[in-house]
Amino acid sequence: MPVELVRPEWGLIVPELILLGTIALVLAGDLALPRRQHGVLTWVALAGLALSLLSNLTIDWAAGRSTFNGMFQADYFSLFINLVVGVAGILSVMIASAYVPGGDEPGDMPLPEYLALLLLSILGTMLVGAAGDLLMIFLGIEMGSIAVYALTGFARRRVTALEGALKYFLLGAFATAILIYGMAWTYGATGTTALADIAVRLRPVVTGSGGVEPSLLLALLLLAVGLGFKIAAVPFHMWTPDAYQGAPTPVSAYMSVVPKVAGFAAMARVLVEALGPLSDSWLTLIAVLALVTMVYGNVVAIAQRDVKRMLGYSSIGHTGYILVGLAAFSGLSPDDRSVGSMLFYLLSYAFMNIGAFGVVTWLQTRGLGVTLDDFRGLATRSPLAAIAMTIFMLSLMGMPPLVGFYAKYYVILAAVQADLIWLAVAVVLMSAVSAFFYLRVVAVMYFNEPSGEWKVQPTPLLGTGLALMALGTLMLGLLSGPVLDLAQKWVQAFGVA
Amino acid sequence: MDGFPILSALTYVPLVGAAIIFFWPRASARAARWIALGASLVSLALSLVMLAGFDRDASGMQFVEHYDWLPALGVSYHFGVDGISVLLLVLTTLLTTLAIVASWDPVQHRVREYMISMLLLETGMLGVFVSLDLFLFYIFWEVMLIPMALLIGVWGSANRIYAAVKFFLYTLAGSLLMLVGIIALYQAYFEQTGIRTLNVLELQQGNYGHSFQMWVFAAFFIAFAIKMPMWPFHTWLPDAHVEAPTAGSVLLAGVLLKMGGYGLLRFNLPLFPDAARSWAPAIMALSVIGIIYGALVALVQTDLKKLVAYSSVSHMGFVTLGIFAFNAQGLYGAMIVMLSHGLVTSALFLCVGIIYERGHTRLISRFGGLATNMPIYASFLGLFSLASLGLPGLSGFVGEFLSILGAFRAERVAGVIAFAVVILSAWYMLWMYQRVAWQRAPSEPPDPTDPEAKQAGAPHPVMGGAEADAVDPRTFRDVTWRELVTLAPLAVLTLWMGWAPQWFMDVLRPALELVASPFGRIGF
Repeated sequence: MPVELVRPEWGLIVPELILLGTIALVLAGDLALPRRQHGVLTWVALAGLALSLLSNLTIDWAAGRSTFNGMFQADYFSLFINLVVGVAGILSVMIASAYVPGGDEPGDMPLPEYLALLLLSILGTMLVGAAGDLLMIFLGIEMGSIAVYALTGFARRRVTALEGALKYFLLGAFATAILIYGMAWTYGATGTTALADIAVRLRPVVTGSGGVEPSLLLALLLLAVGLGFKIAAVPFHMWTPDAYQGAPTPVSAYMSVVPKVAGFAAMARVLVEALGPLSDSWLTLIAVLALVTMVYGNVVAIAQRDVKRMLGYSSIGHTGYILVGLAAFSGLSPDDRSVGSMLFYLLSYAFMNIGAFGVVTWLQTRGLGVTLDDFRGLATRSPLAAIAMTIFMLSLMGMPPLVGFYAKYYVILAAVQADLIWLAVAVVLMSAVSAFFYLRVVAVMYFNEPSGEWKVQPTPLLGTGLALMALGTLMLGLLSGPVLDLAQKWVQAFGVA
Repeated sequence: MDGFPILSALTYVPLVGAAIIFFWPRASARAARWIALGASLVSLALSLVMLAGFDRDASGMQFVEHYDWLPALGVSYHFGVDGISVLLLVLTTLLTTLAIVASWDPVQHRVREYMISMLLLETGMLGVFVSLDLFLFYIFWEVMLIPMALLIGVWGSANRIYAAVKFFLYTLAGSLLMLVGIIALYQAYFEQTGIRTLNVLELQQGNYGHSFQMWVFAAFFIAFAIKMPMWPFHTWLPDAHVEAPTAGSVLLAGVLLKMGGYGLLRFNLPLFPDAARSWAPAIMALSVIGIIYGALVALVQTDLKKLVAYSSVSHMGFVTLGIFAFNAQGLYGAMIVMLSHGLVTSALFLCVGIIYERGHTRLISRFGGLATNMPIYASFLGLFSLASLGLPGLSGFVGEFLSILGAFRAERVAGVIAFAVVILSAWYMLWMYQRVAWQRAPSEPPDPTDPEAKQAGAPHPVMGGAEADAVDPRTFRDVTWRELVTLAPLAVLTLWMGWAPQWFMDVLRPALELVASPFGRIGF
């Protein structure tokens, strides 16, 4: 295949470039500024993220152009992923601000490196969202994951942090190997790594009478397993609770959302865009994964008394719900709600889950721990923090009118549309199960009297972040019309073409 | 009144009141009470204005507000009332106002949060009765749960957390099934017509297959049966009632239990008439069992609140019995039982609350001779007990009579059995009244080892209060002016409904005729 040298369209990757510049700036600031002025870098990171988010406005997403020889696509899917990770990034930086400099062991967690790693991982996820080629997906996932491995072990003198980081790293590396193996088999079977070309070459294979080649099925299986690790689907979830518990809480908040977004973005790009014609072969697999994952996550979460671990298992449950959206895929057409519901779920999940971890962080900066007992009587100590936590818990449970309800509603709608009534019923039943452990947090906050020492400490940026997330959780659902339209635009573009 | 969104106004006024209390951090307990009372009064006034402007002869929805909300999904902001909802709406605003007055002095702990919960609950309840879009309905339906659970769990008595969680999980499980039903219905209508809508009035036009109807009917029915509560879905009710504060019990019995019957009339019958017919024998059997079971269990209660709670289970049996008779008498009966139960049972809970405030116990055996030192109180208690057992001339009689008549026409056996057990309600009510008001007050202290006495007589964990045996019922003061204000309106309405039910039936007629139309409008 002759390679043409085409001038890349730099205009399409402005958001990524801004983020890259911000990373460089943060690292330079680490060297140039004295240690006590490092706090200013938080603002640099926030400004960079905001600017990167705003720069999305300069790109014409409707054109759906690609550049760098098809490696990079600027379509509505990449836009939405940019939106989700941009928002999640800003919120993560806001809740990290109070924790990291004065965190577990003072002086142990250098803020600039923390921020640089965080931004690097966001950049990686944005690249996955915009990937037009299997290799790009691999690069993006690795870039994002390696930064998060480092972040997980950031409190490097704490044993649990090291345990979590090591588990996450080993299993993650293993999963990556499986993933790249699957990509190799895909290349072997189709002769290309470009997503669009794979789909084109698969179409005759599927419509032909010979059936699907075994090598393709193997590739499919390997890809699903590799990506299953990244999104923490059962049975590839083993690392999740330990990593969430061991990591510094703001990191848990971050890694419960953004790496998951990367995984789901990769799933949509690979399974829907490239292997869409093979959907008959993977739909059942994804549906079963969804069921097992949501049942396991929600049931095991009941037994947890450590709130971070509980949120870890609950995030497994939410992976299951999001997979239901994917399992409802019925071909790339404007009527298909699978990808749209998945994207909307990811956005709403960013608000409510980072928010829940944010309240845990908030308690920790006030000298409390992370178990249920530390939440006792929060409503008397700080009514506002208790209301914020209540909003996040109820939203994760799926109570209207909070955004979590809308997210679940859209997923269930997609499932019913695809005739997956049993999956829809499972989502509903698991929501009822999840009420048990989410409500327990609310119950101890309101129904018990406070215990333990408590030191008052101003954390303006964290407080603002929590307020923003609570407001987002409250309002995003009520105003979900335009957001949902945006999430739906990517598949609509396929209908026209 | 043209163009003024009166339904939205009366629904959201309590929400605004709650927001004012919430965002005014230094509001004193006193200010919070007054704001809450003001908001609920405005809402009550608006609902009365609406009732005055309500056209009793017109069929169909009135005061309709209809705007697109999430057009891609067919979700709209759609409010409207007919004869069924208009009366329940006024009942809600009235009872909320009375409940706020009733908790004026008794609630001294976290008053701001208490009033915020009450107002949020009111918005949720009103929203349920005015929503004509299933999505909107579901949102209000669920929103109601949280403040109610908080009212039970924070301001309730000894075993309150268990009761709050049980209430929440029970109702949540039911309503989640309804959610799947809603979506299935939406999808079925879309496949049939190509229109995406969740508008109830539009969905009624669809033709759904029989087996589909059976399933979706069941999904809706279980949610409503739990809320109602119908035997055997009733087990959350005694716990919730016993542990809830007085005002919580009032709203639970007065309004929340009505949502089950309302849901059946608004959704189950018009949407799935074939399934309703097929399910009717089973549901009537359950209703009769519930009527007998509730009455028998009420008979042996030692705790006043539990007695009233089980009597509710029995009364709600008459509602389902009437509805599934599918004739005019049955439907009128069901609605009048609901309204009458809303007035009478709320009043009975207020009465229990009044002596609980004085004696810090709910054990029937700890009271006696109240007729001598609390004559006004005893008269009210007598009036409401008689109304509850269905004395002709009071509201309870009209509803139960019509409901049994309807059942008799539709299913003779059910009617006969239901009629025969009415005597049970006279037994437990009059016996309770005899022990509380006339019997000589107990002189010896209760046995402290009796676990039931311990629970019903335990001092309130957060609000404190004296030990049960420290207070002698002979020293109780009669009702205060504030308490009189809460009881008097309910007494007047009970008498009015008993003597002149025609007015209520006129309001209900067009809406019930519409409900009965798929069943042949028998008796209209």
